[in-house]
Amino acid sequence: MNVGAVKERAGPREFSPADDLPQEYREAATRMIEFHANSEIMGAYLERPFIRQAPSIDRKLAFSAKVQDEIGHGQLLYRAAESLGVKTREEMLDDLANGDGKFLNCFHYPLKSWVEVPMISFFVDGAAMRRQATLRRTSWEPYAHAMDKVCFEEGFHVKHGEDILKELMTGSQKEQQMTQEAFEEWWPRIIQFFGPTDDDSTHHDFASSVGLKQKSNDDLRNAFLDQYIPKAEKYGLEIPDEPRIRERDDGTYKVEEGDLDWDEFFTIAKNEYEPGVGQINGRKHAQEAVQWVRDTIETDTTAASGHAPQAAD
Amino acid sequence: MAATFENPADLEEREQMALSTLLKRLGDDEFVLAERYTEWQVRAPSLESDLALANNAQDELGHARLWYDVLEDLGFKERSLVFEREPSDFRHSTLVELPFEEGNWADPILRSYLYDVAEELRLEALEDSTHPKIADRVRKIQSEERYHLEHAQSWMERLADGDEGHERLQDVLDRLFPHALTLFEPVDSDVEADIVDLGLRDATLEELREEWLSVIVPYLESLDLEIPEIDQTDDDKLEVAVDQEMLPDERGRDGGHTDAWFDLYDEFTRTYRELGRSETTKIMEKPNEQ
Repeated sequence: MNVGAVKERAGPREFSPADDLPQEYREAATRMIEFHANSEIMGAYLERPFIRQAPSIDRKLAFSAKVQDEIGHGQLLYRAAESLGVKTREEMLDDLANGDGKFLNCFHYPLKSWVEVPMISFFVDGAAMRRQATLRRTSWEPYAHAMDKVCFEEGFHVKHGEDILKELMTGSQKEQQMTQEAFEEWWPRIIQFFGPTDDDSTHHDFASSVGLKQKSNDDLRNAFLDQYIPKAEKYGLEIPDEPRIRERDDGTYKVEEGDLDWDEFFTIAKNEYEPGVGQINGRKHAQEAVQWVRDTIETDTTAASGHAPQAAD
Repeated sequence: MAATFENPADLEEREQMALSTLLKRLGDDEFVLAERYTEWQVRAPSLESDLALANNAQDELGHARLWYDVLEDLGFKERSLVFEREPSDFRHSTLVELPFEEGNWADPILRSYLYDVAEELRLEALEDSTHPKIADRVRKIQSEERYHLEHAQSWMERLADGDEGHERLQDVLDRLFPHALTLFEPVDSDVEADIVDLGLRDATLEELREEWLSVIVPYLESLDLEIPEIDQTDDDKLEVAVDQEMLPDERGRDGGHTDAWFDLYDEFTRTYRELGRSETTKIMEKPNEQ
């Protein structure tokens, strides 16, 4: 199939590993799914310390399960990406460790305190939900299929995140104030979650024309604002003055894109933002520390001709 | 006697002390072990092993929750049991509180093995507990613990098969073994005697330790691992007279803990303290209502 034929046929869940697809499609799909998978891993990396710091046993359990789910999503997504035949999972994980793998802007920032947790697990996960819901109709079937499970589980995460936010915003004055401060710090990053405006997006046109991407950055961002500004206000959060947000006559919202720090965004996109580099290297270090185990397993499975014990995974 | 534990409000002081001591031993071990396991989340050797250890962590945390919930019958609350308890009042064995050396996967695996064998024996000794709630919860926990042991053994065998894995297992065994012995140390010898006399558990700590040794020693030997300072006598009966000198200075059960425990405690109580909380949030139903 050539690119023209792909564009013509492009529809929800249209293509599978059985199709003979052009390299351009395979590479674009790999880039997109790899980015998504990497984001799951780096999100989990960022959140893990808050399993320990959660202020109750139930919260701790729910948070451990969430981090586990994200690793599971990464596993599913790498599989969906691998099935395009461009890169193996090992290559993608290695690239993530050596700083070549790209992932969501929000996961390049440090997470310092429990009051910041709902910024990720309510707002960022909520934003992710919006995008992922549209990806259930992406043209690469294994990706769409992975999204079914991811969306199902992500729904619980967002609910838990919302419950944490609600608890903080109905807690002591101090808690409310700390949460408001965290919100002000995170709000612009959350809005940038959806990436640059369509006019500046490098990969949008092709991905959209072959049905990989279902909605534009701007459409997703605006839909997110429509849904989450009222939610933030409902819990007593004040929307910061900057970036300016315009309310349209029909009650929907639009952000003044120029008010956002796009220099920082593109520094992050190149994996050059300092805290993010620290997180990439932190994970790399942790992965290198267990390289000896992977070496052992590899020797083991080769010697035992693929007869790896089930329970040891 | 069986009826006495049906109604916790009627318990005499001696019975209350035996019950709360037993439950703290159980709950604290599981809680602290889970804390250590969660450190491996997003740091395990593969995505698959990451998921498996996260499962174990959540199982142990769930068990701690079950035991702490029985303590609530005696008037304890989660906040007084976990977030506001003095760190020196925790009764877990030092085996579960020790930190890991980064990347030393042999440690969680061997720690899990040593712990899960003891846990299996301990649960067996609780199956016919005179406290009906304990006997009831043992069943639920047993089904999960069996998988943990299988998981640990499967990894032990793979690691012991390679030079580096074997060497690491031996190093970890040398370091962990004395601390594993504290699993069987008393909180207080009179109270420990009461736990058995009252039928809360039907084996003494010495009996549990002897059984534990009779399981782990041959298994570790089958993997060519040497157990420090345990001698085997001629008639194949294990020499189990555990010398006090074999035990570490800190034994956990008596409130003596290693420095690492106090750091861990600071971390898991940090948010609770910083936000000035005085309650813990429950988002799941109480175990009995599940």
